[in-house]
Amino acid sequence: MTNTGNTFVVATFSDPEALLRGVKALRAEDFRVWDVYAPYPIHGLDDAMGVRRSRLPWITFLAGLGAMTGALALQFYTNIWDWSLNVGGKPDNSTLAFVPVTFELTVLIGGLSTVAAFLFRTRLFPGKTERLAAEGITDDKFALVLRKRTADVARAMKILEVSGAETIEQKAMEL
Amino acid sequence: MKQRCRSEQEEKLVQIGEPATSTYWKSLEERRNGPHFTAEFPGGLPQLNGAGAGEPTRRGFLGMMGFSLAAVGLSGCRGPVQNAIPLLVGSDDITPGVANYYATTCRGCASSCSLVVKQRDGRPIKIEGNAESTLFGNGTCATGQATVLSLYDDARFRGPVWRGQPAKWDELDQRVLDSLVEARAGHRKVALLSSTINSPSTLRIIAQFSQQHPNFTHVMYDPASYSGIRAANASSFGRAVIPHYAFDKARVIVGLEADFLGTWLSPVEFARQYAAARRPEGSPSLHVQFESGLSVTGSNADVRIPIAPSELGAIAVALLRRVARKAGVTGVSEGKEFFSDAQKLDAVADELWKHRGESLVVSGVNDVSIQTVVNALNWFLGNIGKTVDLTQPSLQRTGDDSAMAELVEAMNRGEIHTLIVYGVNPAYDYSDSQHFLEGLDKVSLSVSLSDRPDETSSRVHAICPDHHFLEAWGDAEPVASVFSLAQPLIAPLFETRAAQETLLRWAGDPEPNYYTYIREFWRKNLYPVQKTFDSFDAFWDRSLQDGVAVIPSGTVAHLPRLQGDWTEAAQTILQGEEQAARNDDRYELHFYESVALRDGRHANNPWLQELPDPISKVTWGNYAAVAPALANRLGLSEGEVVRLKTARGQIELPVFIQPGQHARTISIAVGYGRTLVGKAGRNVGVNVFPLTSMAAGLRTYSIRDVALEKTGKTDLLAGTQSHFSMEGRPIVLETTLKELKQGGETGENKKALPTLWAEQLHGEHSWGMSIDMNACTGCSACVVACQAENNVPVVGKDQVQRQRVMHWIRIDQYYSGPEDNPVSVHQPMMCQHCQNAPCETVCPVLATTTSSEGLNQQVYNRCIGTRYCANNCPYKVRRFNWYNYTDNPDFDFNMASPLGRMVLNPDVVVRSRGVMEKCSLCVQRIQLAKNLALQGKREVAEADIQTACQQACPTQAIVFGDLKDPNSRVSKLRQDPRHYEVLEDLGVRPNVGYLKKVRNPMSNV
Amino acid sequence: MSAVRAIHGPVKIVPSESQVLPETRLVEGRPTLHEITSGIAHPLESRPGKAWWICLALAVAALLNLGGMVAYLVGKGVGIWGLNNSVGWAFDITNFVFWVGIGHAGTLISAILLLFRQQWRTSINRSAEAMTIFAVMCAGMFPAIHMGRPWDAFFIFPYPNQRGPLWINFRSPLVWDVFAISTYLTISLVFWYLGMIPDLATMRDRTKDPVKKFIFRILSLGWNGSHRTWSRYEVVSLILAGLATPLVLSVHSVVSMDFATSVIPGWHTTIFPPYFVAGAIYSGFGMVLMLLILTRQTMHLQRYITLVHLDKMAKVTLLTGMIVSYAYMTEFFNAWYGGNLYERYHFINRATGPYAWCFYFMVLCNVVTPQILWFKKARTNVALLFIVSILVNIGMWFERFVIIVVSLHRTFLPSAWGMFYPTKYDVGILIGSFGLFFTCFLIFIRVLPMIAMWEIKGVVAHSEHERALGSDAAARAVAGD
Repeated sequence: MTNTGNTFVVATFSDPEALLRGVKALRAEDFRVWDVYAPYPIHGLDDAMGVRRSRLPWITFLAGLGAMTGALALQFYTNIWDWSLNVGGKPDNSTLAFVPVTFELTVLIGGLSTVAAFLFRTRLFPGKTERLAAEGITDDKFALVLRKRTADVARAMKILEVSGAETIEQKAMEL
Repeated sequence: MKQRCRSEQEEKLVQIGEPATSTYWKSLEERRNGPHFTAEFPGGLPQLNGAGAGEPTRRGFLGMMGFSLAAVGLSGCRGPVQNAIPLLVGSDDITPGVANYYATTCRGCASSCSLVVKQRDGRPIKIEGNAESTLFGNGTCATGQATVLSLYDDARFRGPVWRGQPAKWDELDQRVLDSLVEARAGHRKVALLSSTINSPSTLRIIAQFSQQHPNFTHVMYDPASYSGIRAANASSFGRAVIPHYAFDKARVIVGLEADFLGTWLSPVEFARQYAAARRPEGSPSLHVQFESGLSVTGSNADVRIPIAPSELGAIAVALLRRVARKAGVTGVSEGKEFFSDAQKLDAVADELWKHRGESLVVSGVNDVSIQTVVNALNWFLGNIGKTVDLTQPSLQRTGDDSAMAELVEAMNRGEIHTLIVYGVNPAYDYSDSQHFLEGLDKVSLSVSLSDRPDETSSRVHAICPDHHFLEAWGDAEPVASVFSLAQPLIAPLFETRAAQETLLRWAGDPEPNYYTYIREFWRKNLYPVQKTFDSFDAFWDRSLQDGVAVIPSGTVAHLPRLQGDWTEAAQTILQGEEQAARNDDRYELHFYESVALRDGRHANNPWLQELPDPISKVTWGNYAAVAPALANRLGLSEGEVVRLKTARGQIELPVFIQPGQHARTISIAVGYGRTLVGKAGRNVGVNVFPLTSMAAGLRTYSIRDVALEKTGKTDLLAGTQSHFSMEGRPIVLETTLKELKQGGETGENKKALPTLWAEQLHGEHSWGMSIDMNACTGCSACVVACQAENNVPVVGKDQVQRQRVMHWIRIDQYYSGPEDNPVSVHQPMMCQHCQNAPCETVCPVLATTTSSEGLNQQVYNRCIGTRYCANNCPYKVRRFNWYNYTDNPDFDFNMASPLGRMVLNPDVVVRSRGVMEKCSLCVQRIQLAKNLALQGKREVAEADIQTACQQACPTQAIVFGDLKDPNSRVSKLRQDPRHYEVLEDLGVRPNVGYLKKVRNPMSNV
Repeated sequence: MSAVRAIHGPVKIVPSESQVLPETRLVEGRPTLHEITSGIAHPLESRPGKAWWICLALAVAALLNLGGMVAYLVGKGVGIWGLNNSVGWAFDITNFVFWVGIGHAGTLISAILLLFRQQWRTSINRSAEAMTIFAVMCAGMFPAIHMGRPWDAFFIFPYPNQRGPLWINFRSPLVWDVFAISTYLTISLVFWYLGMIPDLATMRDRTKDPVKKFIFRILSLGWNGSHRTWSRYEVVSLILAGLATPLVLSVHSVVSMDFATSVIPGWHTTIFPPYFVAGAIYSGFGMVLMLLILTRQTMHLQRYITLVHLDKMAKVTLLTGMIVSYAYMTEFFNAWYGGNLYERYHFINRATGPYAWCFYFMVLCNVVTPQILWFKKARTNVALLFIVSILVNIGMWFERFVIIVVSLHRTFLPSAWGMFYPTKYDVGILIGSFGLFFTCFLIFIRVLPMIAMWEIKGVVAHSEHERALGSDAAARAVAGD
């Protein structure tokens, strides 16, 4: 959500319910909610804001699939193709014995790539300077943010006020 | 270094670049096929040849560097010695990296077994039996196997010593010669006190010496004495000799306290005969053993009857009485029987009588009366001249107790002016060593020829160290008219001199040379008698090459007749019994030679100290073996120290509870408790020689009327096995002779277990082994042989107590039946080389796999030491290097000293700390044989490969070979009705198989 | 503005006494969101008490001892332990399995309970996960130091090399172990850290100290509470939970295969995987109980770690304890019913042999002790639970000792039977591993929020929401009449 020098309408709440009401009301009048900032995930807000379902599970699936094939390939290559030894009279192709390692690698790669994808998509990285919409977002405040470009700012502010915003202000900043 | 051959043809050989060693053979193969075998490197230096002479490869270069370093180091450690060619000069005999084999004669004890010694880069590193020997076959004993380590003993004298100070030979010789002159002038006695000497040339030298010195006496003394037998034979047959026994000709063997398979007289020879006569395929002989402690021999007997030493005479008489009755001879009074179990004796007597002329009664007890009775027994059974040979007697023990006693008295009377002690240590092993030492102080010049410090040499004026036998020339006549030669395997490591040369020097020869002397002796005395060779050189070379020569003396002695008064002997025994007090809390002590240490002369040999006793499996020390019943009665636990009070003083020893031990007798091994011997052997165990006594001029090795009391102390024994019951598991399978003859359930029809997986493809071989549980006597020669061949480290008492012994092959001991007299079996157990090996599957780094030739191989430098394989091994044969055992002051045994490390086998890597190791079926020997075959452009023959354990086995119990070859002995044995595999039902499919133990119970006992 | 405010007064999240939370009192009292923040952040901002310093001193002492002994071990050789030719594994692998087991509760609580939507997990999952990570660290140490040549430990990784084909044996359960443990450690670590990001942001915004702020800023990855991030964040948590659940089950199954795939009587058993997993959860919960009781007493967090939590964990402990007991019985039954000579002997030996006392002590701890948890009184008695939790841990250590040592000391050939006697190094390194564990944990509770603030906030607000809905429904019902 970085784009430079926008002006935003920021409404802060102490009550998630109120914020939820505000979002619904705004959406009812086709306002586009830029984002909501909260100390914890508010249930029902996804639908209210119309956030689409994340596609991260696909990453997991593909990465896992790749890892599984890779792991099996590694084991078949090393123990059968490249260096086939007589180990305890067992047949070369002891596929069953290869299951545990395959599973572990699948989980490992699947998990790590999911997290990586998440951090990439949400542009989180070590040392990034936070851009807070309002004071106490990470403590007990909730903020509803609209972009100034939104057609009827006055209307929006009205709705927000009605829905119980504690403070409503317009400020230019980077989010 | 060796004597060289000067014949024309030899010279030619040398010129055309052949090693001039055609008289020395490297293997039986070569002997048969002639010298061309030595033409090439058996190792074949493939890298050098492969890369072409022009550009040596890196590996080749490093190899050569390594060798030259080693060579320089070796040659640097000694100057040129006569008859020896230092490596610096280089020798045609020695191809770097290729072992040579030379025949010689063992001097580990006076049995004088013939040996073939493996010499690698100028160092003798392995003792092997000499198949050419008619007496000993290719067998050896544990002690013999270990003698090579004694050569590299740090404790050995570096040179002559005068009153504790290093001296020069000339100076010492002068002092001795002066003293001898002085003695002659003063008409004082000069005495040579030696162990048994059966070297004809040495005896001749001594005779020569005595001519120089009129009042000279030569006394032979054996700490474990046999002079009772000689005395008895003198009185019975008029010949003061030890007969040459033939156990192979005997169908019934009765042993009276004679451990002839373990330590008695000539165990290697006897074990070989014994096993030959007991092959279940033929009609195995019956063996009845009367003994107090469980010996190796007793553990192999068909019938074993535990007795007290004091009952021995009575039993001999009782047997004689029965046999005499059958023979219709009167004379043995029908007195009362002192041995309870009369019908047992009847049965034994019947068996003996049934096999007149092919039976044998032997007794090891040093008592004239008993031996006389035994003589009478053998006489009435018609065994004299058949199983008991008095015409070609054994010369393996010729010590004389009374002469020794007389000498000690003479010394104390101050009659002995000069005393020369050669190869004996009476200050340690004489019954009254204190008395001996007092006498020694009265001698004006005492000289010891001992090559290493001992209790006696520490008290003499002069020490003129002898060579170790692997550095010396020599000959021997263990049994009349059977001669064997000894030749040096290495130039003397130190400034020592052959005892014979020392004696020659003192006999006046300014430039003594024993080699020329011995050669001349053979030329004069043996060459004329023999018929086969028409030139002495040929005769000599062949004898030297074979190491043995059988030269029947022209005169045929007539068969002796029983003449002495044997009835009187019987009477004395019975009277003795009458007086003997029977008291339940008085016990008898019985002293025996342990298989490892014998009379204690090898006490500083760590291999032998760590060799588990074949019966008790205890290492590093002796103990008081008590019967389980006695232990229960007195509440004794193993390792508890007891005080044994006898008329001759008291000792304290830890208790070992020994099944089969006679209830009222306590057995203790002699040979321990050396105080001046070197690091390894110092103060290990307790010396019980002082408890032995002289009775009627004979050394007795048992005491009656002993009191036992607890001390409250405990001294944990270092045993390698703690549980002796098979728990009804299929480990040692047995069958009876009857069953076997009928075919019974045992047989080829037994189907192999199905396996889950397809057979793995193998190369051209599949190496396997078969071990005959019936032939194995448990003598433990294989254990030391393996240790020597495979550089197995010694770990010491503490580590053995922690169950960390490193032996690759162990001999498991199991008992069954009543614990007061159980049946016992010995099972050699080493890596079974499973085809479905559990150890391999679990190794994370593939450090152990099955080779293309069916070997379960261990890759040391890949091993990271998780010990998972050892945990998963059903046979628990894998050994882990818990510490660094090489060059580590914490383990100050042979591998901690540069000298001791000279015994290491360069073909076997010395394992580092933290890796797993185990039996490799002597893969280095397999590899060598394959290379030789390759160069010979032929198949590997069965005779090419013998594993170390197989080679050492006196009874041929171990057979190694190729399972792929249907005609190999091992393959055939797999089809034998007796074949089985240990823990077969686990489906690990071992390549090592066993042959069932065959029981032949005496019908009516 | 004011008018509007007059109409719609700001809703206070402080309802009257009549309207209490649903009876599951996951948080005592009804703190405001800010109270939650400061309450949980308090330990990080105040000076540690004497109790904490004492604990830390003890822990560090043990840790130093560990360092010294391991150094000596690597210098001298594995011989300094009491192992021998028959018993190749004893304390080393016992400790390994023990610690891996401990490590199971954390992931179980945070992953499986998350999937089961068990809200009571929220206040304990963070510390439980931390415990997991530290436990797995301790566990991971043992396979490394138990090797004869630890400096060659890297041999067990399949890395390409120039020694010609040279790979590892993927058939060996030890290799499976390596992969399982490392995967488990990584995933747990990631899961733990991910869960902490929002709270790290909170701390970042709270703290005045520039150094702390700097560190927290780096760690919190610039988190700003954006809901679009939140929604993805929850998805990722779910995915990780979904992955971690089979993982946590697989890890101890794999560990159990070290034994199950062998031929040794007492090891060669098919029931090991479920049996070990149950045991792991059992010991894990034991350890979590112990730690939570300690921390809630010393850190004054009774408000967030309530009797409800203890009660629920006690129930899980009881359940898994019963499963473990059942497994013990099954083993004996199989030995008797299977009729295998060696198997049978092994279990007779286990119950009557020289190590029988270990077996009975184990039964006392793992079978008898948990039975007391049938009683609610016991489950809510903190002191008693503490004792039980300790007994459970001791018992589970002995279970592993019995399985490993008693099986090894008497295997197929009686000639090779032996005994294992621990040396001071065996014991010292065991104690040392506890030192490592507690040092890590004590430091953790000082420098990181040991309770997931954002989750607690979510739970509190959620229950508020529920309450609101509930009262509306009631109102409607009244209107309906």
